[in-house]
Amino acid sequence: MTDTPKTAGEGVYLGTDITLALAARDEAPLHSDTTPGKWVKDNLFNSVMNSIITVVLGVAVIFLLTRAAQWVISEEWRIIQVNLRNFMVGQFPRDELWRLWWSAYVLIVGIGGGVGALAHNAEDDAREKGLEYKRSSWLDLLRRFWPVLAFVALMTSFARTWLPYVGVLVALALVVAARTAGWAMPAPVRARAVQFMAVAIVVSTVILAGTSGLVAIVAGLVAYFAVASETSRRFEGSDARSTLLRQLAPIVVGVAVWFVLDAVAVDGFGWEDWGGLHLTLFATVVGISTGMPLGILLAVGRRSELPVIKGFCVLFIEFVRGVPLISLLLFSSFILPLLFPLSVAVPETLTRAMIVITLFSAAYIAEIVRGGLQAVPQGQTEAAQASGMSAAKIQRLIVMPQALRAVIPAMVGQFISLLKDTSLIATIGVAEFFQYSAISNAQPEFLGKEKQIVTYSIVAIGYWAFAYTMSKESRRLEAQLGVGER
Amino acid sequence: MTDTPTVNADATEIHGDGRPVIELTGVDKLFGSFQALTNINMRVGEREVVVVIGPSGSGKSTLIRCINRLEKHDRGTIIVDGITLSNDVRNIQEIRRETGMVFQSFNLFPHLTVLDNITLAPRQVRNVPKGEAEERAMELLERVKIPEQARKYPGQLSGGQQQRVAIARSLAMNPKVILFDEPTSALDPEMIKEVLDTMKSLANEGMTMICVTHEMGFAREVADRVVFMADGQIVEVGTPEHFFESPREERTQLFLSQIL
Repeated sequence: MTDTPKTAGEGVYLGTDITLALAARDEAPLHSDTTPGKWVKDNLFNSVMNSIITVVLGVAVIFLLTRAAQWVISEEWRIIQVNLRNFMVGQFPRDELWRLWWSAYVLIVGIGGGVGALAHNAEDDAREKGLEYKRSSWLDLLRRFWPVLAFVALMTSFARTWLPYVGVLVALALVVAARTAGWAMPAPVRARAVQFMAVAIVVSTVILAGTSGLVAIVAGLVAYFAVASETSRRFEGSDARSTLLRQLAPIVVGVAVWFVLDAVAVDGFGWEDWGGLHLTLFATVVGISTGMPLGILLAVGRRSELPVIKGFCVLFIEFVRGVPLISLLLFSSFILPLLFPLSVAVPETLTRAMIVITLFSAAYIAEIVRGGLQAVPQGQTEAAQASGMSAAKIQRLIVMPQALRAVIPAMVGQFISLLKDTSLIATIGVAEFFQYSAISNAQPEFLGKEKQIVTYSIVAIGYWAFAYTMSKESRRLEAQLGVGER
Repeated sequence: MTDTPTVNADATEIHGDGRPVIELTGVDKLFGSFQALTNINMRVGEREVVVVIGPSGSGKSTLIRCINRLEKHDRGTIIVDGITLSNDVRNIQEIRRETGMVFQSFNLFPHLTVLDNITLAPRQVRNVPKGEAEERAMELLERVKIPEQARKYPGQLSGGQQQRVAIARSLAMNPKVILFDEPTSALDPEMIKEVLDTMKSLANEGMTMICVTHEMGFAREVADRVVFMADGQIVEVGTPEHFFESPREERTQLFLSQIL
C-alpha cells in the first residue's frame, strides 16, 4: 500500500493500482525524447494515406482561417457598436443604467468575497482532515472563466465611450479585491460567507429593482435561512430552549424583514423594459434557482407512496414535458390573461414568462433528479433507517446528496439548454439577447445591408461563452466531488 | 448455567439469566405468495449471543430484518426491549434506536467521512452536540482499532476496515442489541478475521447480538445458542457443543455435512 494523499480539490481515490498507474502516467513526460519534427512525422505523416489527409486538411484549415481573418478585418462592425447597449441590456432606461452597474458591483463583491472565504474554509477543512488542498491561483480562475472574460472584452471593445471600459475595469478590480479580502477574513467571519453572499444578492436586487413586494418576500426568505443556519450552529443540543430558539428565531427574523421591506417598498422598478443579455442571464438564473428546488420536490413527490401526491407530480411532469416551451409561453402570454377575473391584476408578461420557465425547467430537473435517486442503492436508505433517522432526514442527508452528485452532468446539460431556451421568450414580444440580432438587422440604417452574419456571430459567441463556461465548471465540480467514486 | 437448553427446536429458552431483549411470537412473513418465515418463536436475553445459520433462502436475513422493520412481518408479535413493534412510525423509530444493524455490504455513506458516518445518527436522532458525538466516535474507533482512519472517506478503506467502521457506527447509538446480517460474506478471506475479532470482543464485553453468519468457527466459539433455520422455519436450536457435535434433525445433519 502506498499512502497516496487524497487531494481535496480532486477528490478521486481510485484504489492503489490505478492510483499508481495514474501517478506514473502523470510523471512520465508526455512525449519523452520526442522533438516536434519527430512528433509530426509519427502522427501526421506516418503513412501515405495519412500524409495526403494531413495535407488536404491543412490546406482547408489555412484557407478557412485566412477567409475568417479577412472577413473580421474588412467587415463593418458598426451595427454592433450602434446597438451595443441593446444587446447588453435591451431597452433598460438609459438614465437608470447606473442601477445595473451598481447592482453588478454589489453582486461581485458579495459573490467574490464569499467565494474567497469559502475557498479558505475548504482549505482549513482539508487541513483538519489531513488532506492535500490545491489552492486555485488567479491563473486557474483565468483558465476556468476565460470564455466569459473574452466575451466581455470583445463586447467592451465595441464601446464608443470610455464608460464601459471603466466599468469593466472596476468590476475586475472588485473581483480581485473582494476575493482577496474574503480569503483574509478571520475564521468566525468566514464561517458566515453564505449569509454574506445572500445579503449581497438581496441588496443587489434592491438596487436593480427597487423594493417591491417580491423583493421583500425574497429578502424575508433569505433572512430566514441565514438566521436558521446561524442558530443551528449556536444552539446545538436537544434541550427545550435550544430547540425553541432554533425553530423560532429564523421565522421571527424572516417575517420581520419581509414586513419592514414590504412597508417601505417604494414602487418597484418594474422589469417591463428589461432585455438583452441581461434578461437572458437573469431568466436563466431564475429558471435554475427556482426550478431546482421545485424539481427536487417533484422528483421526491413522484416517488411518494401517497397516490394523490404521486399522481399530481406525474401529471405535472408529463404534461409540461409533453408540450413545447414555446406553446407554454404563448399560453401564458395570450390565454392566461383571459382567465384572470377582471378585478385581479394580471401579472406582467415577463413575470408570467419567468413562471413558465421555472415550471418548465422544474419538470425536466425532476426527471433528472429521479434518475439520480434511483441510482442510490437501497442499502443506503436501509442503513439510515436502521439507525432510527426520520424519512425526511434520510432523504435530505443521505439520499439526495448522493443522487445530486450522480446527475451533475445531466443537470448542467439541462441548465445549458435552459440558457438557450430563454431565447424563446422573444415569441411573446420580449426582446432578449438573441432577438436583438433580428432587431438590429431590421433597423433602417442596416436594412438590406446583409449584416445578419455579424449580429448572429456575436450572439452565437455570447451564448457559447456562457454555455462552455458552465460545461467546464460542471466537469470541475464532478472531479471535485469525486463522481464515479464509491 | 442452570437452564442450558440441549438440542431441540425451541428458541424461546434464554441461555443464562438475562431478561428477554427480543421476543418473537408466531411471526410469519410473506413475499407475495412465498412464505419466507413460518411461525417463528424466539427470545434473546440480555448479554446473549445468538447465531442464526442455515442454507441460503432459509429466511435468516428476513428474520433479523423483521426485528427492526426493514421488512414488515405479516403475523405474530415482535417485542424489542419491552416495545411492541407496530405500524406507528414513532414506535418503529424507537425500536430502531435501540437496535444497531451491520450489513453484508457495509452500507457506509460514501459522501461522508468515517467520523461523520459514525456521528450522523447520534447528532440527527438524539441531538447530541457535535463535539460530544465526535469524542464518542473516536472512542468507538479506538475500540474497533482504526482511530487513524477517522478523517478518511469509506472508499479509501479496505473492506475489513469499512465493516469495522460500520460496527462502530451501529454502536454509536448505544443500542440494546446489534443485528449482524452476514457481516463477513462480502469480505476477502484475509479481512474476515479482523471483523470477527471485533465481534468477539463485543460479545465478550456483554453486548447482546444476533448474528446471521456462515462462520462456523465464530459460532462455535462465541455463540451462547445456535439457531438453525431451513425453509423459513426454526429447525433446531442448541448450544454450540450440542449443535455441532450431536445434531438431532436430519436437515441439520445434512447442512453441517455440506459445509464442515
